[in-house]
Amino acid sequence: MNRQDRRAVSRQYFSQERLAEHHFRSFNNFLERGMQEVVSEKATIETDIGDKEGEEPVYVELGDIRVETPRVREADGSEELLFPQEARLRNITYAAPVFMEMSIIRGGEEEEEVVVDTTETKVGRMPIMVGSTKCNIHNLSDEELVEIGEDPVDPGGYFIVNGSERVLMTSEDLAPNKILAEYDTKYGDEIQVAKTFSQRRGYRALVLCERNREGILEVSFPSVSGSVEFVTLVRALGLESDEEIVHRVSDDPEIVKFMLENLEEAEVQTEAEAIETLGKRVAGGQGKNYQLKRANYVIDRYLLPHLHEDGVEEEEVRINKAFYLCRMAEACFELALQRRDSDDKDHYANKRLKVSGDLMKDLFRTALNKLARDVKYQLERANMRNRQLTVNTVVRSDVLTERLEHPIATGNWVGGRSGVSQLVDRTDYMGVLSHLRRLRSPLSRSQPHFEARDLHATQWGRICPSETPEGPNCGLVKNFAQAMELSQNIEDEQALKRELASMGVEGIPGIEGPDPTNTPADD
Amino acid sequence: MQTPKEIGAIQFGLMDPETYRDMSATKVITADTYDDDGYPIDMGLMDPRLGVIDPGLQCRTCGSHSGSCNGHFGHIELAAPVIHVGFTKLIRRLLRSTCRECGRLSLTDEESEEFRDGLTRTEELGEDWTDVLKSAVRQARKANNCPHCGAPQHDIKHEKPTTYYEVQDVLAGDYSERIASAMQPDEDDEDDAGMAPSTLADQTGIELQRVNQILSGEFRPVGDDRKKLEKALDVDLTEEDMNKLMPSDIRDWFEDIPNEDIVTLGIDPNRARPEWMILTVLPVPPVTARPSITLDNGQRSEDDLTHKLVDIIRINQRFMENREAGAPQLIIEDLWELLQYHVTTFIDNEISGTPPARHRSGRPLKTLSQRLKGKEGRFRGSLSGKRVNFSARTVISPDPTLSLNEVGVPERVAREMTQTMNVTERNLERAQQYVRNGPEGHPGANYVKRPDGRRLKVTEKNCEELADKVEPAWEVNRHLIDGDIVIFNRQPSLHRMSIMAHEVVVMPYKTFRLNTVVCPPYNADFDGDEMNMHALQTEEARAEARVLMRVQEQILSPRFGQNIIGAIQDHISGTYLLTNGNPHFSETQALDLLRATSIDTLPEPAGEEEDGRPYWTGRQLFSELLPDDLNLEFSSSTGDDVVIRDGQLVEGTIDEDAVGAFGGEVVDTLAKVYSKTRSRVFINEVASLAMRAIMHFGFSIGIDDESIPEEANEQVDEAIQSAYDRVQELIEIYEAGELESLPGRTVDETLEMKIMQQLGKARDSAGEIADDHFTDENPAVVMARSGARGSMLNLTQMAGCVGQQAVRGERINRGYEGRTLSHYQREDLSAEAHGFVENSYRGGLTPREFFFHAMGGREGLVDTAVRTSKSGYLQRRLINALSELEAQYDGTVRDTSGTIVQFEFGEDGTSPVKVSSNEKDGIDVENIADRVMDAEFTSDEEKERFLGRREPPTNLSEYAGPGLDKAQSTEVESDD
Repeated sequence: MNRQDRRAVSRQYFSQERLAEHHFRSFNNFLERGMQEVVSEKATIETDIGDKEGEEPVYVELGDIRVETPRVREADGSEELLFPQEARLRNITYAAPVFMEMSIIRGGEEEEEVVVDTTETKVGRMPIMVGSTKCNIHNLSDEELVEIGEDPVDPGGYFIVNGSERVLMTSEDLAPNKILAEYDTKYGDEIQVAKTFSQRRGYRALVLCERNREGILEVSFPSVSGSVEFVTLVRALGLESDEEIVHRVSDDPEIVKFMLENLEEAEVQTEAEAIETLGKRVAGGQGKNYQLKRANYVIDRYLLPHLHEDGVEEEEVRINKAFYLCRMAEACFELALQRRDSDDKDHYANKRLKVSGDLMKDLFRTALNKLARDVKYQLERANMRNRQLTVNTVVRSDVLTERLEHPIATGNWVGGRSGVSQLVDRTDYMGVLSHLRRLRSPLSRSQPHFEARDLHATQWGRICPSETPEGPNCGLVKNFAQAMELSQNIEDEQALKRELASMGVEGIPGIEGPDPTNTPADD
Repeated sequence: MQTPKEIGAIQFGLMDPETYRDMSATKVITADTYDDDGYPIDMGLMDPRLGVIDPGLQCRTCGSHSGSCNGHFGHIELAAPVIHVGFTKLIRRLLRSTCRECGRLSLTDEESEEFRDGLTRTEELGEDWTDVLKSAVRQARKANNCPHCGAPQHDIKHEKPTTYYEVQDVLAGDYSERIASAMQPDEDDEDDAGMAPSTLADQTGIELQRVNQILSGEFRPVGDDRKKLEKALDVDLTEEDMNKLMPSDIRDWFEDIPNEDIVTLGIDPNRARPEWMILTVLPVPPVTARPSITLDNGQRSEDDLTHKLVDIIRINQRFMENREAGAPQLIIEDLWELLQYHVTTFIDNEISGTPPARHRSGRPLKTLSQRLKGKEGRFRGSLSGKRVNFSARTVISPDPTLSLNEVGVPERVAREMTQTMNVTERNLERAQQYVRNGPEGHPGANYVKRPDGRRLKVTEKNCEELADKVEPAWEVNRHLIDGDIVIFNRQPSLHRMSIMAHEVVVMPYKTFRLNTVVCPPYNADFDGDEMNMHALQTEEARAEARVLMRVQEQILSPRFGQNIIGAIQDHISGTYLLTNGNPHFSETQALDLLRATSIDTLPEPAGEEEDGRPYWTGRQLFSELLPDDLNLEFSSSTGDDVVIRDGQLVEGTIDEDAVGAFGGEVVDTLAKVYSKTRSRVFINEVASLAMRAIMHFGFSIGIDDESIPEEANEQVDEAIQSAYDRVQELIEIYEAGELESLPGRTVDETLEMKIMQQLGKARDSAGEIADDHFTDENPAVVMARSGARGSMLNLTQMAGCVGQQAVRGERINRGYEGRTLSHYQREDLSAEAHGFVENSYRGGLTPREFFFHAMGGREGLVDTAVRTSKSGYLQRRLINALSELEAQYDGTVRDTSGTIVQFEFGEDGTSPVKVSSNEKDGIDVENIADRVMDAEFTSDEEKERFLGRREPPTNLSEYAGPGLDKAQSTEVESDD
């Protein structure tokens, strides 16, 4: 490429639309699909009505969600379109009303289910990113922008809450749902650990598979204190026979040797026994039935939640969990045998960026839960007073609005993170550009973390090698490189899996492979 | 004025409720503060007997007015005892270790004795006795029955913060059902046929009739019967019963504990009784400790403590009324708990498990313990550290025209900071003039003090009038003027040179100005640094600052015993240019060079130019600044030998080693051999001369100064190429498995080391090639040679080759799997794939090289960022540990308790600034002796006589040495 071509490419990357592109893509994606996903996950709001004798249960069904473009309600009740500059000047929030279809349904116990009321109601106001598809200045020409008093060269990509412009800092997290094998020390001995941050729908569970100094594998995951023997756990998940366990871990003779040690030490032999043992761990001192119930619940709920999927039976997922654990075990053994190096946490392949849309999704999820709780309370209260149950009376739109605006205004995000939203640096134009393309590592700045602060070779082309602050945040706060492209999550996981299955991948739960019966279990 | 009192000792203990009452000025019974007329209510929280805060009122207890009355405690009689939250752990410990019946410690006398001995022993050894106490409590808690009265003991459960329960196992209410179900046959187990009541009776030895009664629930099996039943049927018939201990119960319990027993628990019965931990009387802090403030609108706003006390009194009152009215127990208990809550939050409002008491606005109240705790608390915020009067802070900027002893102070600061001036006949006129100038005009005055102690503010309006009134014996607080001494400081104050005294020069504009030569001791630069100034307020402080702390007294650093103040940067380039090659100057030039110094006559010219005009040499001009009798020889970093003879620089170049900060020979010698004042004058003048010199020659640097000719570039490329070849050879040897490892290293490490070595050599040779092509006049070379700034390495990197980039001492190895960047093949061990930058900065780096360079650069950035915070913390810890050590007049170093830390200061009793900086000849006794003799005696004759005098030895035995007739004074000295 000659200089002229390079310049042309460079110009393209540094164009108006590209500067905050990642914010727009992410936020638009959230508006278009993310919000509906969250609502569909929630699906219904159950109430306590119907717990009493002779009362029919009531629940609310959540339907489609719809976001308008930002508007402002004046004191006289009129509603007008709101433009960013007006929001800034009047110290108001640039937010759009959100409407949701809700149906109150009564019955199901003795009587038939009756839809008491179904309406699309305003559930709150969603702060809208300046320049996103729902923004009122979206797709306006420069002349039009000047006409309405907007800056045509403003990059957008931020929110306006109470008149102040806030950017959501992109945060750099360790990739979830990936096995990372590492060395660690425990009581002075070097051990091998395979880690996975299993994540599904905002729930994050760390699953650890350790090979301790005796060579015994132990797995720990949330809600179980301490750790569980690997063999016990895979047996509880339905991988019962010695042969299959070994085979699923590895066929390498040395690893098989390691696995035999583990099997010899195993406490249990059958699935039932294993679940029983697990039950004792998770609900010690309780009734036996409860123990079993609890053990099953814990396995299905807290262990590797990312393997679950809508419309897939939990039983089916279990065996996949066992396979997954076997892969973790294999990673541990390979590390112990020095067949592989420990994974590099700072490798950019092991990083995922949380951009504004992902952050807003987290926020919207908790806000919706809060709204659901409020709706439940309002419903129960209205029911107690024998009032007519209507959607409009039980939804208080302030609840959602408050939950969405307050974190953006203060930066105190859900999950206790602070400083997520920051006041846009308007020192100069370059300051704004840099701020919109900044990303932050959640690592504590008070600890050295030498390796995390290093410029990693995999940041080539993605992260600017020069722009990082001096001082305590050095190397933790980074900026995108000019030609960085942020890839996004696939939109339809099912389609991907079907595609994979058609290419011969087996054992994807809920998806039929080309011909699952004939192929033998191995390979 | 009050004389300061010396605190002998502080003892902590509990206070007797009786003492509370005795010291109380009044009992407080009314929750209100002021009546409608704004007068404090009698026996209310603002009772005038508790002290006064409003000016003009008189304290009803001591009779003094606000300001001189410290306030007096009052008290509240609590309706019921409540627990003091500060002692909940101790209360729990006492409850667990003493008998619930007789109050004695649940230990036998022998055990008790043993623990007491253990306590005294650890105390004598000065060790921590908490371990002994804990084991005593643990031991006592074990006892099921009191060893003294035999009463059974129960476990104590403590529910935080202030609730205690006695836990005992009692027969469950559904005991009959439990027994019956245990006797039922097990359905799953066919062998188990259950148990008939008769079998049960046989097995337990309880009569059948009784068994039936038990089964029907008519008889409660207690004690042995219960145990037998439990054993026979393998069931648990008990349930836990929690009996709440009210504070009054605890108080009764504690009253029974004898004095001897609490000694074992580490409590001194003379100073504390356990029952005093349960409050029956609450002391009310004096009004002065909780002043109310009058807002602008005339409303009074009370202190948080007062609010809390109001709550306490209200509840207390309600409690008493309810109890007198015979309210049900439940209500009484609720009120009791409420009272406990208020007293608890009055003492500490940050107890976990208790919701903090809040102000109407929702802000948590700041009660007693919040006043003391933490960074902003009384100890760390008000006693160890305070805000300082007469201090100023602003940005600093350089001013080479100031002496290093001076500091430029903005006029605005000078007008704010004042010095007290005692007016006498002799300075009366000046004092009057200051007052006449008023607070706005510079040198003016802000306040005057009359002999009767009345302080008057000088204003623009009254200044004329006031000036005429000023008489001797008045005091005038005049503005800072030129020549005043102030203390100047830059944080972090890492060594004593971070705080030095300067003389004031009042200047326009808004920054503090300082001579650039004091930058090294303060570690200051002018990129926005701010510094603090403190105006001294007593004559003693000013004298001490002037004698000990003035910048010129700090020229020598105790850190390394040499000067820390000296020429820096351009000063050094300047003297280098001036003396290197000894250039010639015409008369005008010579005068121009010296014009900023105090030298006002030129020496004899060094010679004449061809055209007959006289010329002076650079060395000659430099020598003008030296004392006439200075003799010094040393070799400079430039590489030549510097010879100074009789104050004349005969030979050599003056560079960093001669005049620089951090050990410039000339400065060092002047400070040590001559005086501090002489060296101050020298440094000032060297700086001035050097600036003139560098301006004379002109000095600038540009990108072309780093260019080297094409053939040199080729040579560099060649050198690098040959290094590449050697690296390639090494790699081939390694890959063939023939590389021999160095001792203690693996083959891989050896290879890495050898490659690094080769590449290091390559860069060095590139540097040499580049160096060969630089002229001596090249400004970068001048700076590097003279030591003004930069090094030859910097030059090498600019012109030759940047060289290997390293992260944590190794070549760059991290990145993608098996390779650093995706531009390379996997397992490529070559130089360029691991961060060798073959280009120079001047030539420009390739993108890959740039990236590797950024990786190496990042490490440096992170390192500095992490190091500063770490060193700050280390410094803080060191200071805290060493702050109380003091060198005594006897030469020892001791801590505050008089314990000797060092028998001699620094183990050798020498001050680093008083010893020679030259390690090879230590202290030049000969030279010093000569100098002393020269100063002492005017004529050689006298000197001879003094030197020739022979004192007879005094410590010889009379049988040794010279005969008795010659040793006159032996008898007197014989007692040695």
